[in-house]
Amino acid sequence: MKLRNILNPAVITTDVKGADKESVIKELLDLLVEAREIPSDKTEQVYEDLMEREKKMSTGIQHGVAIPHAKTKVVKNLVACIGIKRDGVDFAALDGEPSRIFIMTLSPVDRVGPHVQFLAEISMVIKEESARKALLEARTEKDVLAVFGL
Amino acid sequence: MAHEMMLLALQFGVILVSTKLVGWLFSQKLNQPKVLGELVAGMIIGPYVLGAIPLGALGPLFPAVEGTVPVSPELYGIATIGSIFLLFNSGLETDLPTFLKFSGKATVVGLGGVVLSFLLGAEATVLLHSEVHSIMDPEALFLGTICTATSIGITARILGETKKISTPEGVTILAAAVLDDVISIILLSVVVGVASVELGGGTIAWSSIGFVALKAVGFWALCMVVGILSAPYLTKGMKRLESLALITELSFGLALLLAGLSEMAGLAMIIGAYIAGLSFSQTDVAHEITERIKNVSDFFVPVFFAVMGMMVDFSALKSVLVFGIIFSIVAFLGKLLGCGLPALAIGFNAKGAFRIGAGMLPRGEVTLIVAGIGLASGAIGPDLFGVAVMTMLLASVAAPPLLITAFKGGSGYRKELVSSTEDDLVTIALELPSYRAADFVRKSLADSFYQEGFFIKRVEGTRQVWQVRKDDMIFMMKVKDTLLEISGKRENEAFVRLMMVETMVDFKEFAASLKSLDQNDMMGAGLLMNMFAQTDK
Repeated sequence: MKLRNILNPAVITTDVKGADKESVIKELLDLLVEAREIPSDKTEQVYEDLMEREKKMSTGIQHGVAIPHAKTKVVKNLVACIGIKRDGVDFAALDGEPSRIFIMTLSPVDRVGPHVQFLAEISMVIKEESARKALLEARTEKDVLAVFGL
Repeated sequence: MAHEMMLLALQFGVILVSTKLVGWLFSQKLNQPKVLGELVAGMIIGPYVLGAIPLGALGPLFPAVEGTVPVSPELYGIATIGSIFLLFNSGLETDLPTFLKFSGKATVVGLGGVVLSFLLGAEATVLLHSEVHSIMDPEALFLGTICTATSIGITARILGETKKISTPEGVTILAAAVLDDVISIILLSVVVGVASVELGGGTIAWSSIGFVALKAVGFWALCMVVGILSAPYLTKGMKRLESLALITELSFGLALLLAGLSEMAGLAMIIGAYIAGLSFSQTDVAHEITERIKNVSDFFVPVFFAVMGMMVDFSALKSVLVFGIIFSIVAFLGKLLGCGLPALAIGFNAKGAFRIGAGMLPRGEVTLIVAGIGLASGAIGPDLFGVAVMTMLLASVAAPPLLITAFKGGSGYRKELVSSTEDDLVTIALELPSYRAADFVRKSLADSFYQEGFFIKRVEGTRQVWQVRKDDMIFMMKVKDTLLEISGKRENEAFVRLMMVETMVDFKEFAASLKSLDQNDMMGAGLLMNMFAQTDK
């Protein structure tokens, strides 16, 4: 899978403002709407799909990384975005740490979805502490893409 | 025309019924390979025995046809399709990675067996047959080649049943047998080339043998490289059609094309079929293709073996009976010594060397194919064809008991085989409350992998191990009591973990939904009560 085909400056923000899980997810959804990855009238539905998944098991994992994701009827292909929030948010993470790096993916319900493959490739990069540090220090979208070698 | 087609339908029918029944008798009651049963069925119903008896107005069902092959061209055509199926399948089932892993040891053993068998076989033909004067005569070349191929089917089955496949001897035998097949088939190409020049009245010079060999090896190498490199892309493209049946049909179509091309290049058709199979054997759909091809090939392959049986002219055999027995013993020695002695040199003790020699004894499909091509091209007569079939029968019947005896007792290796350190392999285990739960999660996980475009197959000879594969991503999935384990390369660890998490999330949701099923008893009662509810009708 080519990360290049999915990640571009329009789906990246280095300045997430939300102070809790709900507002962070909504903010990332707005980013996807602006990038024309999802239609604005469908954000509510996608939000519900994402929160449904969060209810089953939080996607806040370790070392300040959270991977909110869902399968939704709204998208036809894999859609992803990245948000950075340096001071962190309580995302009910497994290690109890506040989450700072958000990688959100939406994948179609009825097709063989490459979202796991995408997340696996992303995690290959951010499992290195140096990469996470570089992401937190990123000032621009280009800095973020550079961490993934794009 | 109508008469010929009617006869063909009758022949096909009689062949299918008889090969299937005799094959069943051999495999289920006599503990012999099914192939032998099919061959024997062909001998019995063929033009030299029962097939010659006239059936009223119809005449004989299998009239002996004049020429090199005693059956009709139509029937021979079906048999040829059968041989293409057979070799395509052999190629598909070749375990190339294992072969490459043990290729060092196996090359020594395999080459030893091939060279000695070929020389002994060809030399024995010169010594025992009054009309053959040099090992370069077509007869000697063909009989030498007949001695080289090992039928891995029989050995693999016995090693599997006695759980000896992963012993150093077992793996060496399997890898060497693959090499044997490859060398025999290359050898066959050379022999066919040389024989056709000689039969055409020409004399063959060493330089032109070199040219024929070069052409054969060149075609082989070119097709192999192109095939193995392009097969993953081909299957990837074909997967867009979203039908495994279609992939199978297209890949067999390619096998037929390659078979035709190799015949055009002056090699045997089966070479193309084998290369096509070998190319697809390394793709993630290999197992799916094999399964589907098998359903069709089960109809055609027995015809091939039956027709081979039909070619045995018993009256021609009488004159070569002694020759046949001596030749069979020579063929035995060729493999026992040719494979056993090199085995001694590469770390096996006498016991191990004997095991390897015995494991390489069985002859089968390739032997028959070589003999059949020899007979059809006129290079060998019915008498020598009979010798080939005799050798194959004797070797295949004698090998199983010999092999079982050989494998009794301790290790056949002088030093413990150092297992390769697989540092980059990780295993992720999940403990579940019960075996039922572990097995249920395993099934859900398999479903999720399937949804992601993976192919899942149970590992042969195991009950609870599955291979999960897509392109070059391969995992092994195991259930051990309440433990669900997945192992794979470290670079894919994140992928597996994410898949497992998603499956567990689903499982948790499913378990929670079961709690609402508190009317469970009433549902059971309702089902039972309804059994008697409709008596008024």
